[in-house]
Amino acid sequence: MSENRVDENRLIPDKSDTATRARIDHSCQGVVVFWYGSSVLWLVLGSALALIASIKLHTPGFLADAAWLTFGRVRPAHLNTMIYGWASMSGMGTLLWLMARLCKLELPWRRILVFAGLYWNMIVAAGTWQILAGNGTSIEWLEFPWMISIPLGAIFVMLIALTIHMLRNRKEKHLYVSQWYLFGATIWFPFLYLAATILIHSSAAVGVAKGTANWWFAHNVLGLWLTPIGLGSAYYFIPKVLGRPIHSYYLSIIGFWTLALFYNWAGTHHLIGGPIPAWLATVGIVGSMMMFVPVLTVAVNHHMTMVGNFHRLRSSPTLRFIVFGAMSYTIVSIQGSLTALRHVNETGHFTHYTIAHAHLGVYAFYTMIAFGSMYYVMPRLVGREWISSRLIKVHFWCCAIGITMYWIGLSWGGWLQGTWMNNPDVPFIDIVKRMVPYLWSRSIAGTLMTIGHFAFAILVWKMIRREGEWLVEPTLFSSDKESALPSETVHGEVAKS
Amino acid sequence: MTTMYIYIWSFVLLFGLSAVGALAWAVQSGQLANFQSGATSIFDEDEPVGEITDAFPTSVKPQPAESKKT
Repeated sequence: MSENRVDENRLIPDKSDTATRARIDHSCQGVVVFWYGSSVLWLVLGSALALIASIKLHTPGFLADAAWLTFGRVRPAHLNTMIYGWASMSGMGTLLWLMARLCKLELPWRRILVFAGLYWNMIVAAGTWQILAGNGTSIEWLEFPWMISIPLGAIFVMLIALTIHMLRNRKEKHLYVSQWYLFGATIWFPFLYLAATILIHSSAAVGVAKGTANWWFAHNVLGLWLTPIGLGSAYYFIPKVLGRPIHSYYLSIIGFWTLALFYNWAGTHHLIGGPIPAWLATVGIVGSMMMFVPVLTVAVNHHMTMVGNFHRLRSSPTLRFIVFGAMSYTIVSIQGSLTALRHVNETGHFTHYTIAHAHLGVYAFYTMIAFGSMYYVMPRLVGREWISSRLIKVHFWCCAIGITMYWIGLSWGGWLQGTWMNNPDVPFIDIVKRMVPYLWSRSIAGTLMTIGHFAFAILVWKMIRREGEWLVEPTLFSSDKESALPSETVHGEVAKS
Repeated sequence: MTTMYIYIWSFVLLFGLSAVGALAWAVQSGQLANFQSGATSIFDEDEPVGEITDAFPTSVKPQPAESKKT
């Protein structure tokens, strides 16, 4: 199919911006579609594992006979397939496409990148299998055994090299703010990943030091990997979809540099109350409070860019998902900073409240933005339209209602759980029993999200199979053949929604 | 243990220096000089400011099979 694309490119001989953009998009096609497609497979698998884990919490007998499917294995398997399979692979797809577009450069090293995708898939598959087989490390977010997690670092080293290569050859001299965020992901996260994996798996970090390295890293997966990709996407797609420059470019740059400065300090707030030196936790708390600066700059910026354009959420799937994600970013970050306070932490820590918060970050913020980005990028790569508006809406509402319900149910339940656990007069078994309804709400919410994921998987599958309409957007194809083909049908019919 | 200290410190230094280096480069090369043109750098003549670039797919019937095979 790639040969076809090359032929089509030849039909666009002019040097117009549209032609350049189409060429760049086409250059990403094989690579980004592969990473995206793989990520969706992991999303579906990860959802299934999540549901199994969730059901076990209120119905402990469920699948209890299979050692492979005990909670202690299914839950980390869910986490790792979602983080390394779904979130990282979809993030890499968006990241590569954004870098190509923003550097105004056709994507280089395409064969290597497809191979890297295959390698990544194999690593995640082997790691998940090892976790389910009982060989997980029990270090949260780094459960893959060392012979699996260390080789993954090779991809990150390649990513640094690719970023530097693209930067040096870029045709657009100005670095748009999204690119700065992406550097956080492509240059700094590899450092963190390699430093943490090697430390964790060596004899240097044992006991308390291991926990410290663990949470420093785990928090940075969100902070310097998923957050920069998510915010970089939001900073590109919100203005791009609306056709309106970001409200304050100045603020956005301040936001990036403060994020780079403060986020990697915040990880130790996960250990408040733990057996670590008090100053170490305090550093994490201070880092978390300082995060108010980048978070507020992003919140103000995205809100002010959207003001007067909220009705566009009705007509643009990309915007709908991304604005949901951007709003969640504000909420999750403010909640996170406040949760880092010792007083709040006393109640919320080691309860379902933390789980709700983690999902608000990785799901409501990151995943929703990843969905939105994919809705924008995939049609431009494949040259086809999504097959169904209705499925997109099913996807959005299932996920939006699902995650909202998930967050409210578990935050509420978790907070109660925390207050009861701090009260020595309440017997532990009573707390366990009182949690059951909240855990049910989690399973129902999870089912809703899984339905959404299936709708999305169908859409992506049909997109990869090119079963959608030719994309009619004049912005994408300038060749006569393509733009002439579907226009009469489109203008003849009324939009579905 | 010494190798571990060398390892940790070299990572810390590389990380820190890359951040300082990036900021110094950004200031020096004028990346932080003109914010207004920076904000509009993602638009161009064919996708100008003011143009919406995303919408729900319209309800068009599937194309005949031969055009799909192109």
